[in-house]
Amino acid sequence: MLHIKPILSSLLRSKSGPLLLLIQIILSVAIVANASFIIHERLALMSRDSGIAEEEILSFNVYNFDPSMDMAQQNKQDQQILRALPGVISASSTNMLPLSGGGWMDRLVDGPDVETAKSTPGFAFYLGNEQMVDTLGVKIVEGRNFFAEEIRSSPAESGILALVSKPLAQAFWGEESPVGKIMYQGTDQQVEIIGVIEQLQGAWVDHRNFEYSVIANVDWGGQGANSSYMVRAGAAALPGLKDSIIAALHRENPNRVIDNFKTIAEHRASSYRDHELMVTILSMMVVLLLLITSLGLAGMVMFNIERRTKQIGTRRALGARKRDIMSYFLVENYLICLAGGILGALLAVLLGQQLMKFYSLPKLELIYPLLTLAGLLLVTTMAVFFPARKAADISPALATRSV
Amino acid sequence: MLSMRNISKVFKTDLVETHALRDFNLEVNEGEFVAVTGPSGSGKTTFLNIAGMLEGFTHGEYLLDGVDVSNLSDNKSAAVRNEKIGFIFQGFNLIPDLNLAENVEVPLRYRGIKAAERRRRVEQALEQVGLGARMKHLPTQLSGGQQQRVAIARALAGEPRFLLADEPTGNLDSLMARQVMELLEKINQAGTTIVMVTHDPELARRAQRNIQIVDGQVCDFAASGLGQQQGLRQDQELTPLADLAADFAAKAKASA
Repeated sequence: MLHIKPILSSLLRSKSGPLLLLIQIILSVAIVANASFIIHERLALMSRDSGIAEEEILSFNVYNFDPSMDMAQQNKQDQQILRALPGVISASSTNMLPLSGGGWMDRLVDGPDVETAKSTPGFAFYLGNEQMVDTLGVKIVEGRNFFAEEIRSSPAESGILALVSKPLAQAFWGEESPVGKIMYQGTDQQVEIIGVIEQLQGAWVDHRNFEYSVIANVDWGGQGANSSYMVRAGAAALPGLKDSIIAALHRENPNRVIDNFKTIAEHRASSYRDHELMVTILSMMVVLLLLITSLGLAGMVMFNIERRTKQIGTRRALGARKRDIMSYFLVENYLICLAGGILGALLAVLLGQQLMKFYSLPKLELIYPLLTLAGLLLVTTMAVFFPARKAADISPALATRSV
Repeated sequence: MLSMRNISKVFKTDLVETHALRDFNLEVNEGEFVAVTGPSGSGKTTFLNIAGMLEGFTHGEYLLDGVDVSNLSDNKSAAVRNEKIGFIFQGFNLIPDLNLAENVEVPLRYRGIKAAERRRRVEQALEQVGLGARMKHLPTQLSGGQQQRVAIARALAGEPRFLLADEPTGNLDSLMARQVMELLEKINQAGTTIVMVTHDPELARRAQRNIQIVDGQVCDFAASGLGQQQGLRQDQELTPLADLAADFAAKAKASA
């Protein structure tokens, strides 16, 4: 038997200690539930699949200082050199790097008339040649890749083709296939959609259109003094790839700086660093709050055992078994935790609404306060269990002692 | 009702062994009112704890209501205490956070008695001790005598066949002590066996039989209730109480 009524009566008659604990639990549940929700949201963001072979792609920049150099020609030569390096799967120039936090963003419209044309959402606008798809390791699920002869050197040229990411295609065209559609950049530049990429994220991890991307058939390398490249290589070749690239490109032309080597996985880590820090801080806070609450409850139980030693002996003398004494303290703990948990869950929802309002966070799901409450019950059960077992070992003979 | 044969209780520490009870023999018959007296440190509380199954003993045999309770498990001991024994403590031992009805209800809850029956018994027991109108009061709102009556009600509510009272009037003034004693006599007349440990010779005289414990033994063999059953040897002489008391005083002086 749990004897809830007399335990509740007893708690209500000596309120101050349990009340302080109740307030602590209410605040803990409200904070822990929201913190857990934010942690989960951040982890979900961080674990999104980019669609890119992040670990296999090494990106870098080439800064050319020789004014006599034919940049466009040098770019083509450099790409051939890169592709010929041992272990390299593919290489491509690019105007932006995925997950790097910087790049191009654009929109397309579905007609030349600005008054009536409908605009796509903003998307990350990659420029690359026929090697770009292989270099990124993305998958074309509909349509085709660019052919080498279709590659242009500027997005302003005619014959611009585009591969769009599936999330963008679904957002703008719905279930209809975008392949073959003619879109416009401004009023006169036509862009033909020739394929759909299953997934390709942009550069800005916090942007709401992060999954919307387009690759246009433009080799952007050699457009200026600074060119960006991505080289995809097998895991075995990647460790020595940086040195191989520097040596090979310097061999071709030593009058340049080759720098800023980073894998896309490293770009990802940099972009998500704030999220990671937030997750770490919030996780520590959650653990500390649960620990402090558990210690508070364990402290209350130990204090109560000291205070009620003779009472426990009397209960034992009157027929309480050891498990009755244990269950007394556990039920007392559960009553405080449940009351605090329910009020804390309500406060968590209110707090969640405020966070939603002021920090554009998604709505707190009810499962978080419930899971927090379940976690709190588990942790506090462990905290209360040992003092309660100690109480159960109090001898009934204590009832007759003058203590 | 209660039969203790050659009970010994030894408390051991690293340095000393203390014999709280040695070859302790006692028979208490059904419906008897027995007072147990003795000087401080004589073993009265140890006897009470063993009789009430609040602690175990080192050697011997203890039959309660014809059942050997020497080696019961903790759970079974608790059940026997709950069902057969009513306790009245010197300090009342009421739970201050519970009202009178909840206090009286405590042993009934441990027995798993249903709520309606618990309520009936609680009301009856509190009525019996004259506190039926104060069921919702807290113990701190009562006088010492009233608190002891609540403790008696708590013992009675379980309808025990055996009541153990530990200095039931020790914390009460003479008027209240007399009232409590009259209540115990009434309970005994209704058929409940009572063993009462007391310092008060006046109260002890009101019991049907008086046992004196000295140095962990019943000092009057006849009073132990075993004389008739076992028969005294012809050459055995009973030590007069006065001699035992003088002997105890001498020992106490020597050890001081």
